[in-house]
This record gives sequence, structure tokens and C-alpha cells, in this order.
Amino acid sequence: MTSSPGTPLAALARAGFTDARRADTLLRDALKAMPAETDLESLIADVSNTADPDQAALGLVRVVEGNAEAASSLSKKGVERQRMLAILGASCALTDDVVKHPEHVDVVRTAGKPEPAAVVEAVQGLEDRPGADALRVAYRKELLRIATADLMAKDPLVAMPIAAHQLADLAGAAIEAALHLARVEVANSELAKVTVIGMGKCGGRELNYISDVDVIFLAAPVEGADEEAAMRAATSIASAVMRVCGQATAEGSLWPVDAALRPEGKRGPLVRSLDSHREYYTRWASTWEFQALLKARVIAGDEGLGQEWLDMVAPLVWEAGSREGFVEDVQGMRRRVEEHVPASQSDRQLKLGPGGLRDIEFSIQLLQLVHGRSDETLHSGTTLEALEALRDGGYVGRDDAAELDTAYRFLRVLEHRVQLYRMKRDHVMPSAECDLRRLGRSIGLRGEAEREVVERWRAQQREVRRLHERLFYRPLLQAVAKLSPDALRLSPDAAKTRLAALGFRDPNGAIRHLESLTSGVSRRATIQKTLLPVMLGWFADGADPDAGLLAFRRISDALGTSHWYLAMLRDEGTAAQRLARVLSNSRYAVDLLIKAPDAVALLGDPSGLVPLTPDAIRTRMTTAWQRQECTADAYTAIRNVRLRELIRIVLADLVGDLTDKNIRLALTRLTDSFIGAGLEIATRDIERKREAELDIDLIIIGMGRLGGREIGYSSDADVMYCFAPRSSDSKDVGTKASEVITVLRKGLGGSGPDPTLELDADLRPEGRSGPLVRSLESFTSYYSRWSAGWEAQALLRARVIAGDGGLATSFIDLIDPLRWPTDGISGSAVREMRKLKARMEAERLPRGADPRTHFKLGLGGLTDVEWVVQLMQLRHAARVSGMQTTGTLPTLWAGVEAGIISAEDANVLEAAWLLASRLRDVGVLWRGRAVDSVPSDYRDAEGIARALGRKPGHGVELAGEWRRTARQSRNVVERLFYGDPAPSPRGYPSRRS
Amino acid sequence: MDRQQEYVLRTIEERDLRFVRLWFTDVLGTLKSVAVAPAELEQAFAEGIGFDGSSIEGFTRVYEADMVAQPDASTFQVLPWRGGNAGTARMFADIRMPHGGPAQTDPRHVLKRALDKASEQGYTFFVHPEVEFYLFKEPYISGQAPTPVDQAGYFDHVARGDGHDFRRAAITMLEQMGISVEFSHHEGGPGQNEIDLRFADAMSMADNIMTFRTVVREVALQHGSFASFMPKPLAGQPGSGMHTHVSLFEGDTNAFYEPSAKYEISATGRRFAAGVLAHSREICAVTNQWVNSYKRLWGGEEAPSYVCWGHNNRSALLRVPMYSIGKGHSRRLEIRSIDSACNPYLTYALILSAGLKGIQEEYELPDEAEDDVWALTDGERRAMGIDPLPQSLGEALDIMENSEFVAEVLGEQVFDFFLRNKWQEWADYRSQVTSFELDRYLERL
Repeated sequence: MTSSPGTPLAALARAGFTDARRADTLLRDALKAMPAETDLESLIADVSNTADPDQAALGLVRVVEGNAEAASSLSKKGVERQRMLAILGASCALTDDVVKHPEHVDVVRTAGKPEPAAVVEAVQGLEDRPGADALRVAYRKELLRIATADLMAKDPLVAMPIAAHQLADLAGAAIEAALHLARVEVANSELAKVTVIGMGKCGGRELNYISDVDVIFLAAPVEGADEEAAMRAATSIASAVMRVCGQATAEGSLWPVDAALRPEGKRGPLVRSLDSHREYYTRWASTWEFQALLKARVIAGDEGLGQEWLDMVAPLVWEAGSREGFVEDVQGMRRRVEEHVPASQSDRQLKLGPGGLRDIEFSIQLLQLVHGRSDETLHSGTTLEALEALRDGGYVGRDDAAELDTAYRFLRVLEHRVQLYRMKRDHVMPSAECDLRRLGRSIGLRGEAEREVVERWRAQQREVRRLHERLFYRPLLQAVAKLSPDALRLSPDAAKTRLAALGFRDPNGAIRHLESLTSGVSRRATIQKTLLPVMLGWFADGADPDAGLLAFRRISDALGTSHWYLAMLRDEGTAAQRLARVLSNSRYAVDLLIKAPDAVALLGDPSGLVPLTPDAIRTRMTTAWQRQECTADAYTAIRNVRLRELIRIVLADLVGDLTDKNIRLALTRLTDSFIGAGLEIATRDIERKREAELDIDLIIIGMGRLGGREIGYSSDADVMYCFAPRSSDSKDVGTKASEVITVLRKGLGGSGPDPTLELDADLRPEGRSGPLVRSLESFTSYYSRWSAGWEAQALLRARVIAGDGGLATSFIDLIDPLRWPTDGISGSAVREMRKLKARMEAERLPRGADPRTHFKLGLGGLTDVEWVVQLMQLRHAARVSGMQTTGTLPTLWAGVEAGIISAEDANVLEAAWLLASRLRDVGVLWRGRAVDSVPSDYRDAEGIARALGRKPGHGVELAGEWRRTARQSRNVVERLFYGDPAPSPRGYPSRRS
Repeated sequence: MDRQQEYVLRTIEERDLRFVRLWFTDVLGTLKSVAVAPAELEQAFAEGIGFDGSSIEGFTRVYEADMVAQPDASTFQVLPWRGGNAGTARMFADIRMPHGGPAQTDPRHVLKRALDKASEQGYTFFVHPEVEFYLFKEPYISGQAPTPVDQAGYFDHVARGDGHDFRRAAITMLEQMGISVEFSHHEGGPGQNEIDLRFADAMSMADNIMTFRTVVREVALQHGSFASFMPKPLAGQPGSGMHTHVSLFEGDTNAFYEPSAKYEISATGRRFAAGVLAHSREICAVTNQWVNSYKRLWGGEEAPSYVCWGHNNRSALLRVPMYSIGKGHSRRLEIRSIDSACNPYLTYALILSAGLKGIQEEYELPDEAEDDVWALTDGERRAMGIDPLPQSLGEALDIMENSEFVAEVLGEQVFDFFLRNKWQEWADYRSQVTSFELDRYLERL
């Protein structure tokens, strides 16, 4: 490469041009326009040092062709030419501008300091289109100065806040100029003082290269002017400002001016007076609006008026943290920030989504609102300054602040460079290789810039993903435990304020638990110190953060030294998260886990949350009890197995993917196996005592929900006991059977490791006055006395759950013709059932219970639905084989299939039955004991709604939801069970005269 | 503590007020009041005042009795009739549950929920009621017909009329309480008056109506008479309705206004009207909630007994009033079924929601009724598709009971309580032997 204009293509390729042949042509063309003595070698070096050498070469040709002055000035090597090339290589939009306005070449070359005021000067004496055009040209001129300095900066991360600051000032000046043009245009504009408040990034002096400029317009009549006329004029001025900036002219447009952050948003008046603002902000504004006001700054128009406004809003902003509902509002806002990402770009978003720019900005603002009330140093509207202040005040750890600072700057630089290229509002990482390459090179990377820029971006993303942990939670740990020798720490009061803002209702208690968990130098304390910042966030997301933290402390105290526990928490990320969710959402789970802390291990076991098969449970129980010689120990052994399996089901319910139906099935199987094993132990016990093999067969029949395979956490086990002698010379058979059952009931009942399972035999023949245990013969003769047909209702759900197979078959053969009578039941039997049910409705509801809210016995509740199904079964099951089953829902749908009930009605009944069943179950999960009706307590309702998988904050809707579902169900029940539409008033049996 | 609350505390101090009453309304529309000493007010702003909700009609059941009244500082007013040095002021209160969250049974909350829904769709709801009531001479003796204070008629100017003085005093007092009066005059019945309130957003207006009833009663007592908002106190004389003009605004624009359309009513306005008409039978038990309400609806005169609409048709349930060209702001619909003894919160919640449903589901407005619907035969009305409103409270309840729409707007708890309470009222009424029956049957049968 000498004086010859021809350049070996290989050298160009090596220099970084992707299309060497084209670059060669372009550079020759450029050279032709330049003075003869131009040094090609240094030109190539300068061009190839830009973000996009091919683009820069093309730009160079466009700039120098037909512009001798530029050609001459750019022929000289040195920093001035580098500046121009930096713009040409980084932005095709700005290249177009320089080509269109050759005088801007010198602006770039000489790199003067930006002078925003020049924009205002440029429009003096102008109006309309010429004014708007002049504004645009002047604006771009200043923009070029800012971009040049930004691109030439040695360290783009250092230059970022400077450029952002200058861009905000420039936007302010442009609005001031637009305001001037608007005043010229609008009639009577002299009547009104107008102030433009910058909001968002413009207000915070951290603007992007191109984005909406958020503003609020404020106006007041000049002295003596009529207020109404003045406000009308001001509104016209504001609309004109928005138009002047936003509309496209021959010189393009600036950016849209967005006034949506004003009081009442887009529905409110565009311009308001000071009083009107005050009225709104003191009475109506919500938390997020105060958060937005944190960035408010006067950017154009009347400064005095603006200052008054700022003085008015500032105290309101810093009082926002003490507003009622602040915590809930903030949590809602956080969720929105995290959720709002279009799925197609979720992976490449710089701005939205968890760890995006908005998340960082939002989180910092939130801390400002929480702590800014008592600490004025935190009042900055600029993200990076606020972060610095938070660090200096000890609200965020020093290292965390530094890392976040870098991450934020880096993401912003990427965003700036992406936007600069086409001057488009874009917040997404490009995917094309050439775009990535330019982006990488624009931040100073060389070599494989397209790969490296993605790697560095991903690395920063990983840092930011733990943003909340770093910002919100780790400083809390700092406050109670010395994590690092950092002298600056969150004060105890600030820690309490923050815990309260994060949703802990007893901050003092939380601090005590944190202290206990992190005190000392044990391995456990060390691991917990690193774990807790993350876990605190998970607890805070639960329905009862305080209970979660306390339970964690108790479980850690119990398991603290177990090697596997700490390893599980540390190494298996999801296990710790699941544990936090379980503990902060379910008192029942906590109660169970306290009894068997080592069952926490299930959370770390890949198959831990899948219920065992009935065979596997049976085997575990059998091997457990057979090792025990003593009967009491044998029962304890199977009860321990039951406890562990119950925990498994509860955990799978809370954090696994067990469906509602499968939970009831799993609980039923567990109960079947448990009672079966219990019967075996009792049999062994009596055989040992009698020193002889028992010569009777014994079965246990499950009734009610147990028979229907649909029990919940709080269900009793409804059962009947039936025996038969093995041979005709068996003796004392009744006594033997009773002895076995007595041992069984004693073994399963009473307190033990697992929650007590009550065996309830009240559904047996003659109820409580009948013998507990009956022979098959006795059952047969008892049932033969039945005549009406409806007595067999309870038998509809009878299912043999334990005991000898032969006797089971005989028993089922005995009851099948009774419960599924060949010709259904008679009209008088149906009337009898209706009468019975009507009486029960008036009598059975517990004292004080509300018939509208009681899940089981209330109107439209479980009993209502089940009676409809059972009546249908008594009438039709003999001819509809699908209805010959004990389950409520399968029978219901078999009825639909057979055309006995409409699918519409079945859907209504099913919805009520499922909701009632589920509410009872999640009631137990949340409260640790049975919940019979919709809780009136707000927090209980919220906890139950969360356990139902509802989004936070929807607990209050639960009562209405149940009442509606039950009311609709009751309407169907009235029609299907009682036969015709009810006479009005409907549904108030006790009031009917 | 926000500025509004500070203002209240300051005013109480400056004006040496000794009592502050917190007002709220039970499900049936009766005003309830609890007095708070000024010293406790700061606490009341922060935490509310606890009270036993089980003794308030429809609020709660005995075992979950605790409720909290949370004063709304923006409604603070000094009560003008408790003058003197030691004055009394009042604020409306929102009812909340002890652990936060609004009480679902608070009528104010029911209206607020409906308004929030409207505001989500970008609408603000304005209403303008014309409240009618009677003035009777004190005292009322059970078993005797009440005596009206005068024998005048519609728009009559009564010389030395007590009603005159009364209206002036009442209006002065209302204005003192920040309630603007647009219009007032003598109504059709003897002793019957009408006072029209200047339009306001529905929540303020519902509060105003509650205040209005109290003020009118107070002033009447000062004038030696008593006021009654009973829908039909005198057989053979007009009943007391509360015709309400309604309009929806989108920002500063009246959404009912469309200059080029017939009667200048926009498609939105027509759909709103269609919604109100379509649901008028379901909501009748609330807009006309007493046994006596149906005596007004079916007592002839101008009562709107049939579900239809018209322009300047004084027999229609819903009327598109006269308009003056170009006054787009005041385009509105007049709903004429509502009576003066309704619960304004529940009534406006239902009217608004019915209208919004009409808009959302694009209901078709039926043809306009141009005739006097009372003069048509049953057959003609049926042919024209004009349904009657319920004939009695019992029928109204029957219809409401099957309405998912009403259940959704009122919320399940209010819906349930309301039905239960009103069925009881209907049962009590049915068990009466009236003087009508005695006069007609006793000797003859």
C-alpha cells in the first residue's frame, strides 16, 4: 500500500471491512474527491477503527462528494477526522443528517461543547414550519456534539451518564424552543404562564438518545387575566408544544412528547393549575404516581411557577411510603414490572422483564421511597446518583452497589448504541450478526466483537438477575450479621422500615430470627448468611412471610448440623425456593415438618414429590411394622410412614404438580393402606394373645368420602366393620372380631406422630345404637328389613378398603342389589328423601353457621350436590353401568352420558363440589386446621386464595366467588332434587311458613 | 395524615367543634351515625373507629361483628343546624374489615366498585336527581291520614306558604353544606315539594342525597312540620319519585352527545339507555325497594309503570329530555322509576352497571314509545313489546332473585341480605289486614 490508489483486498479484509471489494471502491471514490496528497494508509486505519468500517467508508464518500471543504478537512489525519468517522461508523441516521447539512461536518470535527441554549436561539423570530424545521436542525447539531463526545470517549461506561445528562438538557431546551413557537402561534397566549415539568428519564436527567419525553403541563393566569381564558390558552399552547416536537416535517421529527403521567392520565385535562394538581395529588393520586413524581424537574417555561409546584409535590412524594396500602401497591407494581415482557423478545430485552433496565430503576426508586422519608440524601431523581446515595447511607452494600452501577451503565450503553444507529426507539438486543458486530465494536471491542458483546451482556444479566437480593435483602443481613467489614450498614430502624415495606408484619420478630439464623461461626450460620438474602425474597412473596421465616428458623434449628440439609439448600437451588414457599404459605405443612424435619429432604429429591403407588406404601408400612415386636411400636411405625407420605402429598400439593383430583386420590390410597396395615397389626396382636390363628374373616368398608375415593386433609374415615366365621365350628367369633377392631381403633387413634385419623363408624346399621362390628349374616338380616329403597343411600359409597377378599365379594354381592335397585326407587321413596333432606337443611347446620357460606352443609354445598347425585343413582344406576361407582363426579358424568342430567347442570354442580372440596383442603393447608366456610378474616382469605394458586391480592374475592358458585349450584339442586322450581322466597328453609 | 385530614383537624380546632359525626349507610339506605370526640379523630383517620357491625342492617353476622368506620376527610362538613358555640361536623365513612380491605356489605363500596369499573373503561358517571317529598303537619297519629301543610299544586305560589319559607331555609342549609341546588318548586300533590340538586359525580351525589334527606327533615321540624320521602303517602295524590338525569363523560366529553344523531344521542347513549331498560325489571326491587313503592308505580298519574322510553313522553320509564342545540355537555337520560326512598348507592351502582352492560354488549334500543303507554290496551302493549314493571315487591324480588347481573353488581353478600330482608318485609305485609279489606269486606261478606 503505497501511493497507488489500488489497495490489496486482503489488507482491507484484515483491517476489518466485511466487503473488501466494495470498501475498496468506496475508498477510491472518496480519495478522488480529496486533495491529491491524502494519505490512504492512515485513512484506511481511521476508517477501519470505527464501529462499522463498511458503513463509515460509504458515509465518507457521501460526505466528501461535492463538498470540497469537507473533503479537504477530512483528508488530514488526526482526531478531527476520527470524530467524523466515529459518527459515520456508528449511526446511519446521523450520517444522513451530516450529508444533508454539510455545515455539520465542522460541528463534529471541532467537537465543541453542546450548547442547548442554541436550540432556543435558533427559533427566535420564526414560526410555523420554518420554526419547526429550524428547531430540528439546531437540535441535531447539538445531538451530533453529544454523540461525538460519547463515541470518542475512552470508557463508554464513564461517558454514559454525561451523555444522558446532556441529552436531557437538550430535550429540555427543545421543549423550551417549542414552547416559544407555540406561544407565537396560539392566540391570547400571553394570558397564561406555562411550565413544563419533565418526568421519567428526562426529569431524572438520564435520557436516552431517542425516547418519548414524559412531561406534565402546569399553568397559571398572568396577573389580572381571566382564569378560564388563560387555561384555555395554556391548553392550546401545550397541544402546540406536543405537535411541534412530535410531527414530521421536512427535517423529520424530534420525539413524541408524552403527557400521560399527568393527573388522571390520558383522561385528565392536558393542563392543570397548581391548585388542581394539589387537589389531585392530595386526594386521588396512587402510589405509583408518587413514585413517578420522584423524577419531576422543571424543564421549560415559567420557573417560579414550576418551583411552587415542586415545593407542593415534594413532601407528598416522601410521605407516600406511609400511605395506607403502600406495601400492597408496591408489590403489585413490582409484579407488573416483572411480568410485562412480550414473549417474542423476552430473551433479548434490555429494558423490560426481570433484571432489565426498568427493573433496576424501579427497585432503586422503591428503596428511595421507603428510606427517603427519613433521609433526605436519597432524594435524587437520577438512578445512578440515587444508587450512590443508597450506598453511602448503607442502604445497599458497597460491592453490590458497585456491581449494579456497572451493570446499569453497561445496559444503558448498549441501549444507547442500538438506538443511535437508526435513531429508533429500540430496547432490544439485535440478533443479526452484522448488527451485533457494530454494537460490540462501538463499545470498543475488537476481534470477534459480535460474540464478545453477547457474552459480556449475558454476564451482566446474571449479575442483575440477583438484583432484588442485592438491593433489598442482603443489606438486611448486613444489618444483623457482619457479612463484610463494611463500616456502612443499614441502621436497625432502617432495617425495620424496609422489612415492613417488603411485607413482614412483625419486623422486630423477623430481625430476631435473622440474628438467630446467622449468629456464630458455624458452617450452618455461614451457609445461611449467603442463603438468606435470596430466601428472604421468597418468604416475602409468600402469604405469611413472618411465619415462613420463623418456621425456617425452627427447622434449621432441628436439622442444622445435618450435612444433607445444608448441601440441599446450597446446591439444589429449587429445593430452597420450594422450602421457602411451603413454609410461608402453609401452617399445616409447617406443623407436619416440625414433627419430621428430615422429610424436608423430599424437596431435594427429584422423585420426592410424586406420591408412592399403593403397593409401595403397603410395602413400606409392612416392613416398618413387622420389625416391631410390640404392638404399640408397630402402630407408631406405620404412623411414621403415614406422616412422611402425608408430607409428601402436602408438598406436592403446594409446590409440585399434583392435580386437585390426584391429591384426593393419593390421600385415599394412603388411608386405605394405613387402615389395612393397622388391621394386620391388630390381627397379629389378637392371635398372639389368644395363641391361635384367628378363624374369622374381617373386612373394613369405607363409606362417605373415603368410599368415594375423595377424602381431603381434614376428612374423618367413615367405616363399617364386617366379619364372618371361616368355618361352621368357629367359636366366639363376635368377640374375636370386636377384640381386633378395638386394638385397631386404639392403635390408629389417639395422639401419635401423624395427625390423628378418626375412624368414624356412625354410618353402620342402627348408627350409634347398633353393634360396632357385625357379621355378614347380621348385615344380611338387617338389610332384609328395609323396604322403602331410600335407606340404601349411605351404601352408595360403600367400598371394601381392607381385609379378606372372599368376604369382600360376599359383602358387595349383598349390597349391590340394594343400592342399585333394578327398578329404581318408588315415587314415595323419592318424596321421603326430599322430606328428610329438607328437615336436615333446617337442623343440621352447626349453630351460628351461615347457610350461604358453609362448604359442606350450606346451600349449594357438598351435601347438596352429593344428594342430587345419589338420588339419581338410586333411581337409575341399575340400568346405567357407568353410575355403578362410589365416586361423586364419575357418577355425575355417567348421568350426563346417559342423558339423565344436562351437561350444563352437571357443570354447575361439579364447579360447586370441586370448589368446596378444594377450599376445605387449602383451608387446612393454610390454617393448619379445618375451615368450614369462607373465612371472614382478610388475611385468612388471602392465604387461602394464594394456596388456591390465585394471584396475590385476590383473597377478598373468594367469599363472593363461593357465594356465587353455591347460589348457582343451589338453583340446580332445587330444580333437580326437589323436582320443580322452588316457591319464592327460595332457599330460606327456616323462614318458610 | 394527608392534607385533607390536616385541614379537618385544623378546622375543628379553629371553629371549636365539639362533636364529629361519622355517617354511613346501611344496606336499606338508612343513615347511621357515630359520634367521635375531636381528640380521637387523629386516631380515627389512622385506624378508623371500631364498631359492632352486627347491629347494622345487612352489614355482618354476629360472630364476625367487628367492623371499622374509616372517615373520608374530603366529605367534612359542619352541620348548620347544630349551630351555637359548640358546633358539630360530619364526615362520611367507608366501612372496612378489621384486618383491612373494604367491607363488601358497605353500600358505598358497592357503588365505588361500579364506578371503578366505569373508570377502567374511561367513563365518569354524573347524576342529577330531582327529589320529591311531602311536608305534613306535626304530629302524625297512627290510624289517621296525615295532613299536608298546604293544598297547592304544581308550581303554585303559595301566599304566606309554610312551604315557601321551608324551601328557602332548606336550600340555604343545603348550600351551607356544599350541596348546590338547581331548582325547587311546589309539586303536584298537596304539601309536596321538589328540590333538584345540581349534577355531580355519582358518589358525591349519593352522599349528598343522604345529607339532603337529613337536612330536609331537620328543617321541616324547625318549621313545625315533618317531611316524608315515602313513595306514596296519600292515595289519589302523586307519589314521590326521584327522577334522575344521568350522563357519562369520557374525560371532558359527554359520551351521550352526538350532534348529528336523533335527539343528539350518541350510539353509546342509546346502548346505555337500552341497558337500563333491559335490566329495569331485575333492578326494580332496589330502585323501588318498599312495599309502598309499588303503590306509586301503579298509582297512575305520571308513574312510569312500563318499560319503554320516549322523548318528552311523560309516561315513559326512560326519557330523553328536551335539549338545546349545541349544548353537548348537558346531553343526558332521565330515569323516572327511581323513588325518593331508595338506597342511592345501590340504585346508582345498578343503573350505571346496567348502562355499561348495554354499551359493552351493544344492546339495541327498542323503538321509541310515542303514545301515552297508560292509554294503550294490554294487547297493544304486548304487540309493541312493552313489558310492565313488577306489580309488587314480591314480584320484583322474584325477578331479582334470578338475576346474575344484580348479584354481580351488588356482590353476593348484599344480594343475599337484601333478598332475605325484603322477603321478610313482603311476608310481614302479606299478613296484614288492611283498612281497604275491612271497609270493603267486613260487612258485606
